Amino acid sequence: MQEGITPASKPGLKPKALPQSGAKGFNLHVNDKWYALAFLGPSLLILGVFVFYPMLRTLYLSLFLTDNVGRPTVFIGLQNYVNLLTSSAYQASLQATAVYVIGVVAFTLILGLLLAQMAVRKLAGIQWFRTIFSATMGVSVSVAAIFWLFIFSPSVGLFDQIGNLLHLPLVQWLTTPGPAMIAVIISTVWMNLGFTFLILFGALQMVPQPLYEAAAIEGASPSYQFFHVTIPMISPTLFFTSTVTLIGAFKSFGLIDLMTAGGPNNATNLMVYQVYRDAFLNGNYGLASAESVILAVIIALFTLLQFKFLEKRVTY
Amino acid sequence: MTTHSDSHKRLWILGGVLLALIAVFAGWSILSKPTAQAQGTKRTKVVFWNEMTGPAQAQLNTFVKEFNKSQTKYEVVPEFEGTYNEAVQKIINTHGTDASPAVFQSMDISTSQIYHTGYTTPVQKFIDEDHYDVSKIAPGARAFYANKGTQLSMPFNTSQPVLYYNATLLKKYKITPPPVNPSYSDITRVATQLTERSHKKVQGMTVEIYGWLFEQFMANSGVSLANQEDGHAGTPTAVNFTNAATVNTMKWIQDNLKKGVFVNYGAGANAQNNETASFLSGRLGMFMQSSASIGQLTTGNPDKLGITYYPHPDGQKSNGVAIGGASLWISNDKTSNVQRGAWEFIKYLMTAKSQAEWQVATGYLALNTDSQKEAVLQNLYKKLPATKVPGEQLRAATPNQTNSGIFLQGLIQERNLTQTAMEQIYNGSDINKSLATAEKSMNTYIQGNNRANGY
Amino acid sequence: MIQTKTRKPLRYLVLILLAVIILGPFLLGFWTSLLPTADIAKGALWSTHISFANYAEAVKQTAILRYLLNSFVISTLTMAAQLLFCSLGAYAFVFLKFKGRDLLFYLILATMMLPFEAEVIPNFATVRKLNLLNNYAVMVIPFLTSAFGIFMLRQAFRQIPPELKEAADVEGLNHWQFYWRVTLPYARISLFTLAAYSFLESWNQYLWPMLTTFSDKFRPVQDGLRQLQSQETFNNWGMIQASAVIVVVPTLIVLFVGQHYFKNGLNEGATK
Repeated sequence: MQEGITPASKPGLKPKALPQSGAKGFNLHVNDKWYALAFLGPSLLILGVFVFYPMLRTLYLSLFLTDNVGRPTVFIGLQNYVNLLTSSAYQASLQATAVYVIGVVAFTLILGLLLAQMAVRKLAGIQWFRTIFSATMGVSVSVAAIFWLFIFSPSVGLFDQIGNLLHLPLVQWLTTPGPAMIAVIISTVWMNLGFTFLILFGALQMVPQPLYEAAAIEGASPSYQFFHVTIPMISPTLFFTSTVTLIGAFKSFGLIDLMTAGGPNNATNLMVYQVYRDAFLNGNYGLASAESVILAVIIALFTLLQFKFLEKRVTY
Repeated sequence: MTTHSDSHKRLWILGGVLLALIAVFAGWSILSKPTAQAQGTKRTKVVFWNEMTGPAQAQLNTFVKEFNKSQTKYEVVPEFEGTYNEAVQKIINTHGTDASPAVFQSMDISTSQIYHTGYTTPVQKFIDEDHYDVSKIAPGARAFYANKGTQLSMPFNTSQPVLYYNATLLKKYKITPPPVNPSYSDITRVATQLTERSHKKVQGMTVEIYGWLFEQFMANSGVSLANQEDGHAGTPTAVNFTNAATVNTMKWIQDNLKKGVFVNYGAGANAQNNETASFLSGRLGMFMQSSASIGQLTTGNPDKLGITYYPHPDGQKSNGVAIGGASLWISNDKTSNVQRGAWEFIKYLMTAKSQAEWQVATGYLALNTDSQKEAVLQNLYKKLPATKVPGEQLRAATPNQTNSGIFLQGLIQERNLTQTAMEQIYNGSDINKSLATAEKSMNTYIQGNNRANGY
Repeated sequence: MIQTKTRKPLRYLVLILLAVIILGPFLLGFWTSLLPTADIAKGALWSTHISFANYAEAVKQTAILRYLLNSFVISTLTMAAQLLFCSLGAYAFVFLKFKGRDLLFYLILATMMLPFEAEVIPNFATVRKLNLLNNYAVMVIPFLTSAFGIFMLRQAFRQIPPELKEAADVEGLNHWQFYWRVTLPYARISLFTLAAYSFLESWNQYLWPMLTTFSDKFRPVQDGLRQLQSQETFNNWGMIQASAVIVVVPTLIVLFVGQHYFKNGLNEGATK
């Protein structure tokens, strides 16, 4: 899955209304079930096999111990969950995920907003800056990871060279827990910025000019205008962007895999990486299923929150 | 909606770019096809999974090419499958599908696990069929991959953990090199002198955060990692990371870190790359790693390479280390013809000539006893006498239950856990606490695993 | 807004600074891809030994072009399939009447809450049973449709004036004809947006292909880069950076050329 952008939440996802029975005014056939089967059948089949069934199966597997070829053999009830929630390693993973998610969301939004705010003013050549600011949208996970891996790499990397010039103490970016977390957050934020910029820029352009003019006439300072006109006007988009970024951050895997492999000292061992490690390295499928269920519940909660908010906003 | 001409124009440009890309790719794939087809005419494909990188991968690919040229019945297709850890589950997960390999390389510590899946044909079957003279293959290595007199897999890349030092740097700073079988304090002395006399331009030493090295410290101290005599006497039910020898070793590392004569490169492939790069560029004085790094450390290295045995605790004799590396297995989900091809390839890799070339190119020990007579190997010993050290270390140790590998399923988990403990210790945590946490998690894992598999 | 003369240079300064931050990793990656690895290892980033040798090495010694081709095939197939199946599904929810329609829609909506990452274990077992491992199909079939796509197109189709449907009924157009001749052309902006997203999403897949491909013949580019990175024991930075640049340039070109159209798609979606 792409990191930062999730299928559950893309721009355009702004329902005018939640589903109602029938689109009124259409001359509907009484029953189109054969058409419906033909039109919807393929989608239902795929979603059933690859989305619904696996969720139930994951729930089922999470209640078992699995043998050395991955078959569920011993039913143990909720023991996997108990083991997980009492394990300090898993708690550390949850904590690392929380730090990462908060860091990524906060900096993506602040920087994205800064970029959008700077780019929305009309200046000669501003088009160039707008293009540049959206450029990281064309960067995939691996490319971002490789670029930043080099920047953070010891002795040859950029930060080490700058540190050398300034005679700063050497920071082992990717092998010290704190700096490693900072490094993956920076890389993720950078990768997210292009998309976030485009969305927020679009929103800023929609803010009616007369509002600013009125504020200016009343003598409001630019910062007052920003916090009392701009922010409230684009708050729905801000909320939307933050949930998209948040869910994307929860699902981060590629950057972690390439840059730190969950290390050092499990400091960047995020939830999805933990699932991968337990299932596809340790062959512990029952435990990994329990971890998957916990991940799914967390993401589902945030997605619901997003739906709820959007629904509310629309009814206004 | 934007339907003005400008956006249409852009759409056309976009379409054009896409079409151009398609054309380039189509052209390229058509051009590259004939060669692929020419190679594959009527030969039985033998897919070979391996986890070799760098010079070892290059040499292995050379072997594959030579083997494919040497006969007309089989075509070996090598595929790199990532790290040893990744490969085990890939092998198990693909068994019985079209994606599975015919012959695969799997690491030492996966032996028990792969054997218990029942997914392989023991190479013993082919040894018997061909009356293959297995006595030419180093007995210590063979025993590692055998069970009750049946050879399960063929030992292939076999290494010893050793200590490397930059002999040129030591000479430059007038430091007496460590003895050939050094104790921890010998290493501390060299590391300290190197760091001080170079005014920290050279980092004294490092030990990569790597479970294998952790296991070897235990082996060399003569303590068992798992009960049931490291699994040689039955299915282990618990591990012991908190013994005095292990705590002592970790304390040695932590002390040197605190003194600033030890540098931490972390864990994983990146760590190993950075460690090697630093050593080659003269910024790191000593490190412990597989003898398989010799190939890398001698190509294009202007400095003289020094090699010693793996360090042992002070006040005791070294118990000797286990071999490391991997063996070659034949999957039983392929036709007998494919399996036969896999065996022919294995035989090709084990000839005296191949094994000698293998050691020269990589530093893995030549397992065919006749290899020592091969000119390439003799030349290497003449040119770089230090490269004899790993073989000597192997011969110096008397095999016993604590230095002959660990027969335990879930050793990948063990490595993850001990590596986490090492990371914590390197970052200054309490040694006993970190090791106890790892031990507890591993014991929980072993109990669950034994239960799930009905042992 | 009021533009004072003194603030203008400052504004440019900030803009340039931000541009440097955004472009920095690209520029550094591109620059180092031109340098010999030996110089990079020494930390001599201001080396003058510039050449395209790393690119030649990447193209000749690695499967980087094959990876690109694989990704291109996989993403194109996924995109085409999603356009077709999502639009058909969305059509059903807007223009067809059948029992359980609302329930089905809610069910599909609910799948948007389930992250694929949490379902890889059973999904792996499924594709293994179907013997799809190590094949283009394994990276396309689970993504033939998407709940998001259906949802988004449903929103777009609802904007179609009822009069159009009434007129079509009068002319005797059946559902297939109305779908093809009216619905799709009408919602083409949304279709374009979905196309772009499904393509990008497929292009950026990392975990799933990593689990299900085992040879360079099918490995897509994200995992190809991972493969190159993990095979390198020498930190051959020059060649790795060159490979990364080879991968990023096509998407940057597409983004640059298509940005106007792309942005319109975004705004269109955002204002609906």
